[in-house]
Amino acid sequence: MTPVRPSAGMPTPLWERAASTQPARTRSAQSYPRLLSNSLGVALTSLRVILVFAVALLAQLTFFTEVRVAGVAPELPALLAILAGLLAGSQNGSVIAFLAGLAWDVYLPTPLGLAALTFAVVAYALGDLTEDLFHDTPARTLSLVFLGTAAMVSAYALLGTVIGQSGLLTDRLLSIVLVASLFNTVLAWPAAAAMRWALGISRDDAADSGAAFGGFWRRRTRAK
Amino acid sequence: MAVAQRRARSRYRLLLLILTAITLLTLDFRGFGPLEAVQSRVRDALEPVVSAADVVLGPVARVWTVMFTYSDLQDENARLQDELDRLATADIRSAAEQDAFDRLLSATGVAYVSDVPRLAASVLRDSPGNFADDVLSIDVGHRDGVAPGMAVVTSAGFVGRVELVDSTSSTVTTVSDPGLVIGVRLLGTGDVGLGHGLAGDASKFVVDAGLRWPETGDLSELAAVGSGVVTAAGSRYPADIPVGRVLSVEPSEAGLVQLVTVDLNVDVGQLGYVSVLLQQPEDEPPTAPGSPFDPQPFAPEPETLEPEPEISEPGAPPPAAEESR
Repeated sequence: MTPVRPSAGMPTPLWERAASTQPARTRSAQSYPRLLSNSLGVALTSLRVILVFAVALLAQLTFFTEVRVAGVAPELPALLAILAGLLAGSQNGSVIAFLAGLAWDVYLPTPLGLAALTFAVVAYALGDLTEDLFHDTPARTLSLVFLGTAAMVSAYALLGTVIGQSGLLTDRLLSIVLVASLFNTVLAWPAAAAMRWALGISRDDAADSGAAFGGFWRRRTRAK
Repeated sequence: MAVAQRRARSRYRLLLLILTAITLLTLDFRGFGPLEAVQSRVRDALEPVVSAADVVLGPVARVWTVMFTYSDLQDENARLQDELDRLATADIRSAAEQDAFDRLLSATGVAYVSDVPRLAASVLRDSPGNFADDVLSIDVGHRDGVAPGMAVVTSAGFVGRVELVDSTSSTVTTVSDPGLVIGVRLLGTGDVGLGHGLAGDASKFVVDAGLRWPETGDLSELAAVGSGVVTAAGSRYPADIPVGRVLSVEPSEAGLVQLVTVDLNVDVGQLGYVSVLLQQPEDEPPTAPGSPFDPQPFAPEPETLEPEPEISEPGAPPPAAEESR
């Protein structure tokens, strides 16, 4: 298996760093402690991602059923899916987004798989779009969160209507898309920090690439 | 080369994810039992955590609600006080009518909704997403005897239908959902039709099937504005549960069918406690005479046909005597 080489502009998630430290031909000869260490790294990353998503899901199911602007709540599962695409890249980000959508589907009245499909496709597109960017900026990340949320919510409503779900394509769709996208953009900062921590991307790694507020963190650190 | 390989691999992975999602969608559409059971187990397992989070975050969230809806609450309080005063005067008349109705029911032996055992439940939370406005969760599940399809009511009337049942909680599709079709009876005329919620307006319900526009053009045959609408006998739900009051009656585009807009009695957005009617639901979908769901539109069942009473002339022998001959 050829070692995964992250693209130039993308911060390296913990599991990829662990996997790519050894050349391919010596991988099979890895010592048991190193294999264990790699497996533990992947397990820890997975656990952290699950933890972050569980907190977001709980907030969505409890806090944000009441806290709404113009009757619209943020779409936290969609936000985490977008950030997974931006931070972990199209390959791993789409899988995380798919699983996030699947967990969200369990609580939605629409058929299982609808949100998962939408999240995975949009996260893949965002990850693919930004994978070769060398200097991302906070403004660009916020724009991508806004556009990604709008794309996810619109695609969810359209796809749901295509498969026969009623009540998705209504007059309210435009306001839902706008308010949810704005809400997600506001919440992108803490969510990005949480996802960076979950994916094991250090602040320095993020600062080198500039992905998702990394550049901002770097400038703040220097100023201090 | 490595970039091309990576891209090919991520496209392959995306394709697999899409295929998995389509498979899940297909299985869900076909009502694949194990898939529903797994979802139910997941919700059951997470319910204590969600409830605990609700206890912690709920008060904070409610502060937000109070902050931004205080003036609305004051207006609503004043409106409710007016309504209460009005109802106090109507109470005596209502009691007399109820007494007459009870005597009629006991005489005819017809089961009324008050005879159906009820199970009180509190509303756990409203819809979680931005699109599921017509869904709410209640704190009773199959451990308490709740089954999918049961009717959920309040003292104001019909709330909705139990859709998903977990061990200790259930999901209810409310009457405002455009996809929930209910057989109703107009108290003003006694006509029976099928109705559903109005998309984008949770306080309205429209009856758009089964009610023919009067061929003679006599508008007095239409239900009066303000007259009551209740669930029909023979629908999926117990009969005579109040649904709302007629707001307007107009012809459909083709002019053949009535479109009756109903103001719902229950405000599905402001529910705290509800009751589940523990009556096993009818499996058959509701059919109204002449409705598109009726297997024989506008044709009564042969066994329900009754011979027209003959008008006997004075001095003629009774019909029974003729039959016996």
